[in-house]
Amino acid sequence: MSKRTSVVSGTMLAGAVALAVSSALAPLPASAGSKEKCFGIALAGKNGCGVGGGTTCAGTSTVDYQGNAWKVVPKGECVKYGVEEDNPEFELPGDRVGSLTALDRDLPES
Amino acid sequence: MPSLAELQDGFAAAVRRPEPDPPRGITGRGDAGAGRRFGVYRNNHLAGLAGALEMTFPVVRKLVGEEFFRAAAMDYVRRHPPRSPVLLLYGERFGDLLDELPAAGRYPYLGDVARLEWSRIFALNARDTAPAEIRLLSGIPEPELPGTRLILHPSVRTLASRWPVLAVWQDCQPGGGRAKIDMERPERLLVVRPDTEVVTHRLDGGSYAFIRSLARGAALGEAAEHAMAEEPGLDLSAQLVLLFNYGTVAGIAPAAVNKIPPDQKGTPS
Repeated sequence: MSKRTSVVSGTMLAGAVALAVSSALAPLPASAGSKEKCFGIALAGKNGCGVGGGTTCAGTSTVDYQGNAWKVVPKGECVKYGVEEDNPEFELPGDRVGSLTALDRDLPES
Repeated sequence: MPSLAELQDGFAAAVRRPEPDPPRGITGRGDAGAGRRFGVYRNNHLAGLAGALEMTFPVVRKLVGEEFFRAAAMDYVRRHPPRSPVLLLYGERFGDLLDELPAAGRYPYLGDVARLEWSRIFALNARDTAPAEIRLLSGIPEPELPGTRLILHPSVRTLASRWPVLAVWQDCQPGGGRAKIDMERPERLLVVRPDTEVVTHRLDGGSYAFIRSLARGAALGEAAEHAMAEEPGLDLSAQLVLLFNYGTVAGIAPAAVNKIPPDQKGTPS
């Protein structure tokens, strides 16, 4: 056994964990979200990072408005893209609109 | 006659050189010589990358003004050309360059402000992962706890500054007033993106030591010792609550999980 005497024992940690678990029983709602992911609105190379098969990672979209690439926007604004086009911020070319789920338009040719 | 590859390599290298001569094999038509025409590429290269830095460091830009920022940014582009075609994370060492600038003597906190801005960009673009909940730890047998290693969330960055950089950063946000900032106050910061939003937290000495140790790969027991050395009388359970509430932990390192019940030295019955 190691000679090093540890000031922090398993018992101490277990006590701290038990106390922490009981005091954290109501977990914070994961920052209840003032933002949302919006698909199909990011310019090439400016998308956020997803994870998992077939998704893209930050800055790797190769096509403008790529349907399976997203960018984070203030909550509620995604559906304005391509709809409220009086505001230049929400303008998208053609009849494209922003989507809260991945789209199959504007995918890079494989 | 150079091959196409040679021509392209020479072109790319010459774009990054400050001197006016165009690369060999490049000719210009008409009155404007090849040198002047090539200068357009050289300038676009520089201006484009400086523009990328401007988007990453809006607070530094606001603090020093347009002219100073462009000069510093172009200096950075020349000294540290991007190594990746993805520019989202370009500028990691911009803070170091700001530290060295003679003019930065009057604004010694600029480098740390840049590091905070870059950390936030890093967190924004880090891989999405759901943070772990603290009850993950309650399943671990007591003797295993001190040796347990946590996997921190991929977006986690820490920053210790002699200056109140977060206060400065906040004051430079849209709507931020001219707050009276006590410039003698150091700050220890945690940047993390548990969900879709990047959050910067101020930490006390104990929490900072705890998270830094965990980030360096220390096990829970060792990290707790570091934290207690920094802050005697530290409330360990409060540290754990903070760690998990901030979304700093992504999981438990597999090694610790795998060796759950080796029958160590027989339990006395």
